Amino acid sequence: MSGSEVGRGARVLLPLAVALVLCAVWEVAVRMTHSHGLLPSPTGVVESGAILTSSGVIVEAMSGSLKRVLIGFAIGGALGIPTGLAIGTVPALDRAFRPVLDGLRSIAPIAWIPMAILWLGVRGDAALFVVAYAAVFPFIVNASLAARLVDRRLIAAARALGAGPWTVVRTVLLPGSIPMLFTGARIALAFAWASIIAAELAIGIKIAGQGRSVAGIGQLMVETLYVRRDVDALVFYMLVIGAVSFLIDAGLRRLQRWMLPWSDR
Amino acid sequence: MARLFEPLIGIACALAAWEIAARVAGNATLVPSPATVWNALVAMRGSELPRDIAASIVHLVVGYVAGAALGLVLALVAGSSKWFAAVIDPFAEFLRPISPIAWIPLAILMFGVGGGVPVFLIFYAALFPIFVGTLDGIRRVDPTLVNAGRALGASRATLALRVIFPATLPSIFAGARLSLGVAWMALVAGEIVGGDAGIGWRILWYQEFFQMDRVLAAILIVGALGLAADTLLQALQRRVLRWLPASEGTR
Amino acid sequence: MNPIVELKHVGKVYVSARDGEAIEALANIDFTIRRGEFLTVVGPSGCGKSTLLSLIAGFNAPTSGDVLFQGHPITAPGPERGVMFQDYALFPWRTVAGNIEFGPQARGVDAAHTRERVRKLIEMVGLRGFEHRYPHELSGGMRQRCALARMLANDPTMWLMDEPLAAVDLQTRIILQDELLRMWGDGIGTAGDRPTVVFVTHGIDEAVLLADRVLVLGRRPGRIKEVVDVALPRPRTALRNGPEVARLTAQVWELIHDEAVQAINEEAPL
Repeated sequence: MSGSEVGRGARVLLPLAVALVLCAVWEVAVRMTHSHGLLPSPTGVVESGAILTSSGVIVEAMSGSLKRVLIGFAIGGALGIPTGLAIGTVPALDRAFRPVLDGLRSIAPIAWIPMAILWLGVRGDAALFVVAYAAVFPFIVNASLAARLVDRRLIAAARALGAGPWTVVRTVLLPGSIPMLFTGARIALAFAWASIIAAELAIGIKIAGQGRSVAGIGQLMVETLYVRRDVDALVFYMLVIGAVSFLIDAGLRRLQRWMLPWSDR
Repeated sequence: MARLFEPLIGIACALAAWEIAARVAGNATLVPSPATVWNALVAMRGSELPRDIAASIVHLVVGYVAGAALGLVLALVAGSSKWFAAVIDPFAEFLRPISPIAWIPLAILMFGVGGGVPVFLIFYAALFPIFVGTLDGIRRVDPTLVNAGRALGASRATLALRVIFPATLPSIFAGARLSLGVAWMALVAGEIVGGDAGIGWRILWYQEFFQMDRVLAAILIVGALGLAADTLLQALQRRVLRWLPASEGTR
Repeated sequence: MNPIVELKHVGKVYVSARDGEAIEALANIDFTIRRGEFLTVVGPSGCGKSTLLSLIAGFNAPTSGDVLFQGHPITAPGPERGVMFQDYALFPWRTVAGNIEFGPQARGVDAAHTRERVRKLIEMVGLRGFEHRYPHELSGGMRQRCALARMLANDPTMWLMDEPLAAVDLQTRIILQDELLRMWGDGIGTAGDRPTVVFVTHGIDEAVLLADRVLVLGRRPGRIKEVVDVALPRPRTALRNGPEVARLTAQVWELIHDEAVQAINEEAPL
């Protein structure tokens, strides 16, 4: 271990300096080989980014994608939480259906695209199916874990006090599971976000060049790649996608801390 | 005995539901029945399936090993040099939210449509969790163990290889399990969107010809392969980490 | 007198990670350890006895003063100063045999010699049949014996032991004390033949029973309160519950008593 501690100031300045140097080298390299426009460059990315943001293109595409992420996420939760809770509380169900669920969970959501397109057509809904599929399993896993961790004695106490099964779910099971469900939600959202991009890319590949209006950022990226050939825009989209990922997760974490101050993660 | 029975019931239920859905849909292209999918599987097994699976496995192994190796090396350097760690940590944090999927168009640009795309994606997908997991593990190595090694006459190299590395293995495996799931998704997405070989790519191929029974068969294969990969990794983990007390490590 | 370790005006200051406060763990330590002696170190919590040991081991350097081993300043740990840790610090990924052979392996001793040495040591500490067990499968007493064998594999000139018997039950502790004395060569040969032992412990009776000299430290800051000579005959096992040990134990306790009470009433140590 090198002996010295890296000071707080250096910790911020050093990577910044390195980043600036790298960007500068990158920019120079692109200019020197006259590839501006053929290869992405820092200035190109900034320029493209400015144009795309001001023209509203990216906002439109992003809202399309996000809309579907949220709907898919909601569907995933609506299906996944009850299933997970059921499996977590009834061990026989767990033993019976665990292999099937594990098998289905192992299928990368994007693989369903051809079937989804067939069933739901090429407009956004096929992507929605993929997103919902991706979101459902983290909910199932975490909900079942949460249910299993809920203290059996609390349930027994509630029943001894005369609570019917539905009341038990409402007053004991659900509140006790919330922290784990939150974690599951964060994972599900991350999966959903990755899946929507993948699905839209796949759909975009199918319909590239057909002049249809762009439904989401994935299709936008494909169109940019194959039709408009704006490489700087591609990098810009990537950065935006990353930023949105980060904000979504950070937002959820903050929400969790606010709603459930006692829970750890 | 009942232990074996219940999963079978679950599977039977699933198959029954599937069959019912197929009958209700009535259209073998829309919803292929279990039987037709099975036949498709048999037909595929004799022709292109082994080649496709092999291609996907090659993509996965090459990309994953490269990503894991780089992740390990970077973590080792970051673990021994605070300056390097200070520089590379923010970069890692910056790139982490950008899922491998977002790289697909750029990857197609860089490598063209072909094997390069999925391999690159898997490389990227494996890199971060393994880097972060390994670095975290290195930082959490019990300093008493390191001191014990020093007091027994170990050189710096020996310490790194025979004390720090084994102590970090549980964290490395945690990172590996995590990254395998992401890498698998990246593999399929990469092959579908920008590949020219492998089981993911083959799914699109069948779809072009509306051979939906084969599509569904291939989808199931994707699931089976993913499950197999994780099971293998889990088995490897159990073997390598058999020195851990039962409560830790193997989930 | 044949000095093996000399502490000259040694001081050690830590900066507390919690509040940035400077803590003087040791101050003005002037002491010489004699070759072949069994030295025990006692004192109330926070008196710096573990710090002292780690300075001799070479894990830390003093903030002021010098620590010399055989005339040369100590700059790093080394196989000639073997260490036994409070929580054994066995390598969990290695078997009993694997742990014991670590030292010779690290020093490049050839495989045949190493194997032979390991076999002998396993025999000596009574772990035959457990060579291929992992630490998590062993009881506390067995782990301790494995840790001892691991240290002995390098045939160190000094044995530095930090409360090695703290974590085992009383019966096991008595048995291990006797084994330790036996392996050290209690009552056999002359001081020149034996390794030098520095044994840190909380147990005063243990300290008196085992030692040639007892180093009594005080706290806040850690400093030498007194050096008690234990001029009892060896071998010591027979004297365990005798009057001499009891008398000396009371004597040492008298020195520590007030500060020990102080320590209990204050916050948790660093």
